[in-house]
Amino acid sequence: MMSKDYTNDEKALIILSTLQSYNARKKLFESVKKPCELYSDFSKADEIICKCEKHNIGIITILDEDYPQKLKNIYDPPFVLYYKGNKSLMTRKNILAVVGTRRVSSYGKNILENFVPKFVEAGFVIVSGLARGVDSIGHRLCLDNRGETIAVVANGLDICYPPENVDLETKIVQRGLVISEYPVGEKSLQYHFPERNRIISALSDGVFIPEAGEKSGSLITADYAIEQGRELFVVPGNIFSSQSVGCNKKIKELQATIVLNPQDVIEAMGLYTNLSSKRNLQLNIEQQTIMQILEDGCKHFYDLLEKTGMSIGQLPAVLTELEVLGLIRKIQGNFYEIVPSL
Amino acid sequence: MLAKTRSYALNGIDGYEVNIEVDLNAGLPAYDTVGLADTSVKESKERVRSAIKNSLYTYPVRKITINLAPADTKKEGSHFDLAIALGILIANEEIDSKDYKDYIILGELSLDGSINHIKGVMPLIISAIQNGHKKFIIPSKNAKEASFISGIEVYAFGKLYEVADFLSGKKEYEPLKTSEFVNIQNSNKYNVDFSEVKGQFVAKRALEIAVAGGHNVLMIGPPGAGKTMMAKCVPTIMPDMTFEEAIEVTKIHSVAGILDSNVGIVVNRPFRTPHHTATIPALMGGGPNAKPGEISLAHNGVLFLDEMPEYQRRTLETLRQPLEDGVAVVSRAKHTLEYPARFMLVASMNPCPCGNLGSKTQECKCTPSEIHRYISKLSGPLLDRIDLQIEVDAVSYEEFRSTIPNEDSKTIKERVEKARAVQRERYKGTSTKTNDEMTNSQVKEYCKLDEDGERLLKNAFARLNLTMRATSRVLKVARTIADLEGSENIKTNHIGEAIQYRSLDRKYWD
Repeated sequence: MMSKDYTNDEKALIILSTLQSYNARKKLFESVKKPCELYSDFSKADEIICKCEKHNIGIITILDEDYPQKLKNIYDPPFVLYYKGNKSLMTRKNILAVVGTRRVSSYGKNILENFVPKFVEAGFVIVSGLARGVDSIGHRLCLDNRGETIAVVANGLDICYPPENVDLETKIVQRGLVISEYPVGEKSLQYHFPERNRIISALSDGVFIPEAGEKSGSLITADYAIEQGRELFVVPGNIFSSQSVGCNKKIKELQATIVLNPQDVIEAMGLYTNLSSKRNLQLNIEQQTIMQILEDGCKHFYDLLEKTGMSIGQLPAVLTELEVLGLIRKIQGNFYEIVPSL
Repeated sequence: MLAKTRSYALNGIDGYEVNIEVDLNAGLPAYDTVGLADTSVKESKERVRSAIKNSLYTYPVRKITINLAPADTKKEGSHFDLAIALGILIANEEIDSKDYKDYIILGELSLDGSINHIKGVMPLIISAIQNGHKKFIIPSKNAKEASFISGIEVYAFGKLYEVADFLSGKKEYEPLKTSEFVNIQNSNKYNVDFSEVKGQFVAKRALEIAVAGGHNVLMIGPPGAGKTMMAKCVPTIMPDMTFEEAIEVTKIHSVAGILDSNVGIVVNRPFRTPHHTATIPALMGGGPNAKPGEISLAHNGVLFLDEMPEYQRRTLETLRQPLEDGVAVVSRAKHTLEYPARFMLVASMNPCPCGNLGSKTQECKCTPSEIHRYISKLSGPLLDRIDLQIEVDAVSYEEFRSTIPNEDSKTIKERVEKARAVQRERYKGTSTKTNDEMTNSQVKEYCKLDEDGERLLKNAFARLNLTMRATSRVLKVARTIADLEGSENIKTNHIGEAIQYRSLDRKYWD
């Protein structure tokens, strides 16, 4: 990491960033002409800078030129951003936030698997929060499709939360960007998450929610998006599914654009993509039979056994072949379903 | 006067000779046992005295010294009683016997002079035979057990005075007649049968493959899906034990003291279900008086671990080495014991702590981290030893009312035996017995794939997120499926089926 000399103004902002309350920070910030008047002793800032350098963490303040304009324009911009990775991603055009429930259902997964690769293809940078569920799947799918992605986290960058995403975070640092407004050592406290969400929506040009429960944090992001004038895209869900209540509510309240396929989002954002045609595969009779049966919805192994009349030795082999072709997949409990595609 | 009788002591499931020297001396009446005898041996003093008196012999009023040679190994057990009592009688010249030194004497005395049942007769006799001994005196309650060993003279007695009469030649006794193993083998019965398991064709098929190839199985499914019942049925489709196998098992069960003395030999393949609170010694063997653990008791049979993630992780990890080597090693500061432990592992678990993950009717209330924690109780190296991981689901009768009839265990067993015969032929002259035990070079030699099979396997790994360590597992299972079908080469459909039995490698468990 390059060693950079920080001005007293910047150091003052760094100290300011350690204050817990945003309002207190804002008040202090506005009470003086220049931030350096706030403090006389900058040793605390030096300490943080030193720690950041040790962890390879970069610092951008609101005074910097490469501080993203989009963030400056919101009501409560973060004064300091800590980052790891390629900071130029923040100032890109066409950033799309992909956020949603932590307890993602297979419906949500299907949506992500169909949409995110298309978004990447269209040239979007995907921003999300590295949380469990939709966030991590979004990041992963983006990386798997060689896309670029930004993770905005709610804790100091020396910590990884949730812990199981350590490998994902490392990958994002290598090929994308991880940012946070919290200094090194800060744990992810409960109230950090809504604060973090304002940055996600502010960085993006549009917010896409595939699935959100009634009290999902992604709805906070959605509200910020509306407040900050970003496009909000939601996918309608099953009215009986608790994981879709949030999305459906946004639709009912006429606050969001209904999205039925990736093109809806891509075109609304003024981008263009050519629809890649469906694969045309030659299937043998057994495979065709199974595909036909599965068209009615997911089926249990025994249903397939009964309906196809195949032997217990034959059927698994045909199912594996279809799985390998990517046409069907096994889901928990010995059920099989067609991989949905748009 | 000095008398020297012979007995045997156990070390693990092997025995060693113990010479019991009884010396009667002038001096104040006393009774001393030397030669590292533990409490159960020392207490024999009172049993021996009462038994001799109550058998109407004179107990010597002299200084009695008893030495158990070799004097430097610790001896335990009550089966030296009879040899000590006879030693005293001979030393006291109550009995006049010339050939008593030819006999290995085993037996525990009761106060009234009758001879009680002891543990470990089978392994003791077998070790003694290996050391060239031919004649034995044992309790009549252990007669059944000893009768399966041919080519030796075994005399079984119920009373101390009978032994005395026999040794002094006052009365003639006939040696035991050898029992035929085949006769009782045909009468073996399990009280469960696969025909009683409704539905569950996937699981049944997987268990058939597992038994045919000696693979270990993990069943994953909600509570009440019938996992335990199916596990209990596994021994019913295993090939019958050969006499040698039965003897191996009987030796272990005899040492552990759980042998049915009315039958005298273990005919059915063992099925052991240790509870998940089992400690490491309970599972591996050991304890203050070293005993074989559950995994050894399951030797040549099935070890069923119900609710596998509920076991302590440390306990589960100890299974790794026996699964590899087929022996349980109990190490002590002074000596090391080895118990055979070649068993088939059948394990079961719920898909998540609440058990409803993946259910179509009930909602799972577990958080991802809870599920992750639950699944990660099973370490990678342990799962590595489990070739088939199958999902078993609660089958509602109406939903899956299948027209396919339920096969009984006998039909399945016939197929299994055929597949085993193919394997025996293939691995002739090597230490490998089943497909599960194949070495890497054998996998290379016997699990060749054609181009299509190779392609399927390669694509499957990319597409289905199978981990790399699953390769050889899939190949071995595919080999077994081919053997069951009587096919010499592994075909694409064999590979295809084998891949379906790798549930835990799937992405949705993450």
